[in-house]
Amino acid sequence: MRVAVIGAGLGGLLTAALLSEKGYEVEVFEKLPFFGGRFTNFNYKGYEITTGALHMIPHGSKGPLAKLLKKAGAKIEIVDSKPNGTALYRGEEIVVNRKSFPLKSRLMFGFYYLKNLFREVKLSEVESRLDDFSAKFLRAFLGWSLSVTPSQVTFSEVYPIYEATYEFGGPGIPVGGCKSVINALIEVIKSNDCKLERNTVRAIRKENFGLSVHFYRRESKKFEVVISDIGPIETCRLTELKLPELSESRGIKYSIALEEPLIDHTSVMFTLETRRICGINQVTNADPNLGKKHFLMAHQPMITSNVKFEIAEGLRDLKEILKGYKYELLAIQSFSDGWPVNRAKIGCDCKNETSIKGLYLVGDGAKGDDIEVDGIALGVERVVKKIEKEVVL
Amino acid sequence: MIVITERCVGCAICMLVCPAEAIRVEGKAEVNIEKCESCKKCLIYCPINAVSWVE
Ligand SMILES: Cc1cc2nc3c(=O)[nH]c(=O)nc-3n(C[C@H](O)[C@H](O)[C@H](O)COP(=O)(O)OP(=O)(O)OC[C@H]3O[C@@H](n4cnc5c(N)ncnc54)[C@H](O)[C@@H]3O)c2cc1C
Repeated sequence: MRVAVIGAGLGGLLTAALLSEKGYEVEVFEKLPFFGGRFTNFNYKGYEITTGALHMIPHGSKGPLAKLLKKAGAKIEIVDSKPNGTALYRGEEIVVNRKSFPLKSRLMFGFYYLKNLFREVKLSEVESRLDDFSAKFLRAFLGWSLSVTPSQVTFSEVYPIYEATYEFGGPGIPVGGCKSVINALIEVIKSNDCKLERNTVRAIRKENFGLSVHFYRRESKKFEVVISDIGPIETCRLTELKLPELSESRGIKYSIALEEPLIDHTSVMFTLETRRICGINQVTNADPNLGKKHFLMAHQPMITSNVKFEIAEGLRDLKEILKGYKYELLAIQSFSDGWPVNRAKIGCDCKNETSIKGLYLVGDGAKGDDIEVDGIALGVERVVKKIEKEVVL
Repeated sequence: MIVITERCVGCAICMLVCPAEAIRVEGKAEVNIEKCESCKKCLIYCPINAVSWVE
């Protein structure tokens, strides 16, 4: 039973590791000279700066990704956030829990839950009925974790995250950062004698026996199952598949080196009174090896399509937040068109199965009912189960 | 000569891997040609083919 995985992002590697553990013959193809896609890091000036992610696993050591990593035998340690999160509001940092939100707003949330059963409710409608703190927290939370604003999403799209947070808890940081997760998965794949190869796939074709994967220089290989981790749009380009157009979410991330600490915990500090910046984490609190000194990452969604303007707004926020601190801006990274924060906005992901027999989608753009890498894990779990059921070894 | 094309989104992976510290990114990558050692690492590492080489 031969399985090809196209793309060595988190989704592709997780699928490959799980299937290789079950005894499938898996080959992973990656076009770039590094593995991990948007979930890995490079050491830059003594700091582990990522290719995308904020070094966080949304639901930490109890979430769907952690569960699958364990199942795959990938050894990583996740430092769970304590507290779940804080909010910088009116100059003070407040620990966020249920009680931080006034009763009236909590009731309002329940009211909209019911209303939403009858008609689609935009979150901006909910926002307008909340008290100032709750409304600003909602905006910061959506911007940090999904790079969207309340007017871009509906209540039912976001409700599953609320439930997942309730069930699994807040975020966690893997020791060694994103890259340690990627390395652990690669180790599993290699230990099962499966291959990772640097090669760009240029077409996937239906054949009598299954599927053929085509590379440059006219080479091709045959497989019974092909798993695509390159996203719905690219997958359509390589096949005759037609999928609905997706709108991506875009954002900007700032990596900052600090002399003196700004944050004294391992979670996110949501910033409520800013133009753009939605939250900041100080990842060296969870793993000191992620940076020479204190290492901060700040994130904002892109509200307009003018990147220069968006960055100028973000930098103005950072200047205010970091007033009085000695810091160095290590990197400003913007994410869109082909390398976005999310290939599909929350609630708009494609299904994992496709109309082409044997071809499955995993990763961002084909997530299950959770966010970011935990959503990816749920999609991967579904694909692995499906393959086990339908395709005998 | 290394040329950054219109496709660049500013993810800065090229800056992270450049051994000559010749790249600056703020919304889009800019190469300092004086510092550039023509190793083409930025071209190979760019995830969206936004870097090209012009003789
Ligand atoms: C700024 C930012 C912050 C984020 N923060 C977090 C966070 O803190 N926590 C979190 O959980 N998530 C976060 N995310 C999201 C997370 O990074 C992504 O959801 C995840 O990394 C996507 O993984 P993937 O497997 O879908 O795809 P990718 O990581 O995009 O990997 C796809 C791979 O396929 C390869 N490929 C493409 N085309 C081909 C081809 N034709 N042939 C061969 N290979 C090919 C690519 O080179 C790439 O390596 C963040 C993202 C960004 C941008």
